[in-house]
Amino acid sequence: MSEEVVVPTPARHRGSRFAVATIVLALALIAVCVISLGLGQYALSPSEVVGILLRAIGVDTDLAPAAPTADGVILDIRLPRIVLGLLVGAALAVSGVLMQAIFGNPLADAAVVGVSSGAALGAAASLTFGLTVFGLWTTPGAAFLGGLTAVIAVYLISRAGGRTEVVTLLLTGIAINAIAGAGLAFLTFLGTTSTREQIVFWQLGSLNGALWQNIALVAPLTAVGILAGMLVAGRLDLFALGERTARHLGVRVELLRIVVIITVAVLVCAAVAFAGIIGFVGLIVPHLMRMIIGPAHLPLLIASALGGALLLAVADLVARTAVPLADLPIGMLTALVGGPFFLWLLVRTRRRSGGWA
Amino acid sequence: MRRRSSLLLVAVVALGLTACAGAQASPRSADEHCPHAAEPLTSLTLVDDVRAATGRSTACLPTHAIAAVDDTTPPELPVTVTDAEGRSVEITDVSRILPVDISGSIASTVFALGLGDKVVGRDVATAFDGTEHLPVVTKAGHTLNAEAILELAPTVMLTDTSIGPKEVRQQLRDAGVAVVVLSDERRLDTADDLIREIASALGVPSRGAALIAQLDADIAAAQAEIAQVAPEAEGDRARLLFLYARGAANVYYIFGHDSGADSLIEAVGGIDVASEIGWEGTKPMTAEALVAAQPDVLVMMTDGLESVGGVEGLIARVPAVAQTPAGRNGRVIDMDDTEILSFGPRSAEIIRAMARALYAPASSTADDPAS
Amino acid sequence: MSRLVASGVSVAVDDGRLILADASIEVRAGEVHALVGPNGAGKSTLFGVLAGDLTPASGTVTLDGAPLRGIHPRELARRRAVLLQSNTVSFPFTVEQVVRMGRAPWARTPAEDQDDAAVRDAMAETDVAGFAARTFPSLSGGERARVALARVLAQATPVLMLDEPTAALDLKHQEDVLRIVRARALAGAAVAIVLHDLNVTLAYADRVTLLSRGRVVAAGAPGEVLTAARIEEVYGQPVDVFPHPGTGVPVVVPRR
Repeated sequence: MSEEVVVPTPARHRGSRFAVATIVLALALIAVCVISLGLGQYALSPSEVVGILLRAIGVDTDLAPAAPTADGVILDIRLPRIVLGLLVGAALAVSGVLMQAIFGNPLADAAVVGVSSGAALGAAASLTFGLTVFGLWTTPGAAFLGGLTAVIAVYLISRAGGRTEVVTLLLTGIAINAIAGAGLAFLTFLGTTSTREQIVFWQLGSLNGALWQNIALVAPLTAVGILAGMLVAGRLDLFALGERTARHLGVRVELLRIVVIITVAVLVCAAVAFAGIIGFVGLIVPHLMRMIIGPAHLPLLIASALGGALLLAVADLVARTAVPLADLPIGMLTALVGGPFFLWLLVRTRRRSGGWA
Repeated sequence: MRRRSSLLLVAVVALGLTACAGAQASPRSADEHCPHAAEPLTSLTLVDDVRAATGRSTACLPTHAIAAVDDTTPPELPVTVTDAEGRSVEITDVSRILPVDISGSIASTVFALGLGDKVVGRDVATAFDGTEHLPVVTKAGHTLNAEAILELAPTVMLTDTSIGPKEVRQQLRDAGVAVVVLSDERRLDTADDLIREIASALGVPSRGAALIAQLDADIAAAQAEIAQVAPEAEGDRARLLFLYARGAANVYYIFGHDSGADSLIEAVGGIDVASEIGWEGTKPMTAEALVAAQPDVLVMMTDGLESVGGVEGLIARVPAVAQTPAGRNGRVIDMDDTEILSFGPRSAEIIRAMARALYAPASSTADDPAS
Repeated sequence: MSRLVASGVSVAVDDGRLILADASIEVRAGEVHALVGPNGAGKSTLFGVLAGDLTPASGTVTLDGAPLRGIHPRELARRRAVLLQSNTVSFPFTVEQVVRMGRAPWARTPAEDQDDAAVRDAMAETDVAGFAARTFPSLSGGERARVALARVLAQATPVLMLDEPTAALDLKHQEDVLRIVRARALAGAAVAIVLHDLNVTLAYADRVTLLSRGRVVAAGAPGEVLTAARIEEVYGQPVDVFPHPGTGVPVVVPRR
């Protein structure tokens, strides 16, 4: 049995694919951001945009237009919107990677565990009852609490004897989603027409009205979430072998599950708090990245963060420039792409028996 | 509660405007479709029993221009005001004003204060003479378009919470625009407050006082005219109910107590039956409420009435209407969406128009197309 | 020396019924210790207790003298490796990546330097090096079983536990696996292996523990434990046991 065998070097090959993918994604991301910064209702030439950016960091050139309102367009409207889109996209994509890892299923999504509907319920409650306890941050804070409550409820209910069965988790998630949905419907009924509209638009997702003060909250939460994901990425690889085998290899399964679920809640809530519900990013991006660079979780996480940021940057560019003077709901665009993609995934997965390749 | 229902009202008006984006098109020329508007109410052909009148009447304003107040005191700047959200705002320059809200009341007030030449943009509800050339900055009627606003480089923006989102207001503040958020209650008794708030924010308090005095006088005169015509006994007064309809979306609301509609109805000497049955604010209509109220007259927005196919269409879609005196008599008064509940400086004219439609329907249905 | 010891272990199910009663077993270094018995005898249960997956209602389990429960999972993973019967991988990792996962317990220790060598040797031993770059879900049942074994071998632990590792394998690979296992034992490992084939047991095991209906019926050298009478009593099937003409190793043949 010990003949000379030439062992191919798949590790190196895969490493190069990851490097290429990362570079391509990063370049595409920069390109889209630059284009996005220059496009919009307020007409600005590329050199004016550059001039404004330079002026913002203290370098005075002749390029920037004299009118101070142009600065406002770039620095207070377009730039925060682009940055928020990048953060939200990365957060949602990474949350998708983590969800799929912990469930061992590429069709798993944060919505399954009830985070999205819980967040929606929290936000809707704050809008309907006109709560302003924390000023501008009341609705996002309520979304956060709602999402976290939902996911904790799902987790606690589905635990039995110190173990969490995946199927029970999913079914409990469905039940919590149903309850949150009923609550949402009731709030819609209770509310005024304007809150009803606000709730509807919040559920469709929008990056309109991005503020730096909000980004100051989203950015660290997203960073923490992604960092936590990267720290457990190695253990998530082992999780793919099955819970029991992962335990045999030294993984503390229950602890890992708790950490991942809380990290997912943090990422999703940070994302939806100011941008509303934007779906399918956590489903599409990890799956595409897995097809390109393979399932190892650390590179997958990084590539997905970039991919998610890119997806949302493109979607937002389309959302605000496709129809003149209109701002299409970004959640609608991601669902438009994500829905058919999900169907294709289902069909393809079913066709290949014995594996979620 | 008051605040909420006014908010609702105003938002619902917006929805109506959204449904018919083209409605804000051309300004109408004076007098074409509004005969007899200059004549006093008592000289018109009055109906015998205001509760038994039949047919549709459209209330119309004699002119769609806004007259500026006589006072021309130049603005005293800078001025610092505390807006409706409790923020302290300093206004240093009123050379480029952007007045936007859901109903157009703010814009009409700015024009009435004589500062119309400084207005640089408008909302969807503003279409009176002198505003045709102004770019519209509210997307779909009730969403602020930040970039479009900055393109106009306004020095001061007067708005309220009826349009948003509030984050865009903050973005504009960050970009250096002085944003003053006014209260969004639109009722007959709040018209003065609105004028006062706007006048002080623009540094022209004396103009504001003059406008208020003029408006109060106009309203008093209108009400005096109406008093001459309205029945004395309460049992003889017209029973009116404001119905909001958007046929395409199958949406129907009754506007009740503190919605603004009640103040209009009472100002024309009618009884607001919605308030009578305890209907608070604006809520989706129920058939039982409609039948219990038994209105003699339905008051509606013109585009709303058109969207359900006129009076006949309304009765077909909402069978409960047929069980009310208003339905049996086909008695509906409609008025332009952007005018009917906007109050503001045109309050007196609006009351008069409504009164003409109510008490002298023959004079206002002259050349309206059959419903 | 005894490395993995269970004594007086009982495991109960929800309704209080015992599926394993008062079982004891000693797995010693340098030995292949087989757990055999009919279906439902409690082999997998005892295996689970030894692996640390099941907590016994009574009795103790120790590894190198220390109670199993008190050992940190990672430390435990460096001392014993477990191969289960079902081997699935939920994402399309390659064979090489799966085998490398066996080295996970050694991350951030000096032994990390030997990762590449351990993986390479394990894949060569189990004859899976030829498809190292293929994805796990694309493999046949037998190939997957060998890859899983490679992973366990790469883990390089002094104690090896295998639950019916030959179930999906063809004849040649079955023998290959058992030869590997015995070689490891000869090199000093303590091997606990659940087997269903009595002939394989007689050929490769140094010690046997025979279970029936949740109890240990006999334990000792294979030839002494697996007599015709005992096999008939436990399995309910009359058999003949006679020595192999060439090697002398006992052979079990059902009486037909």
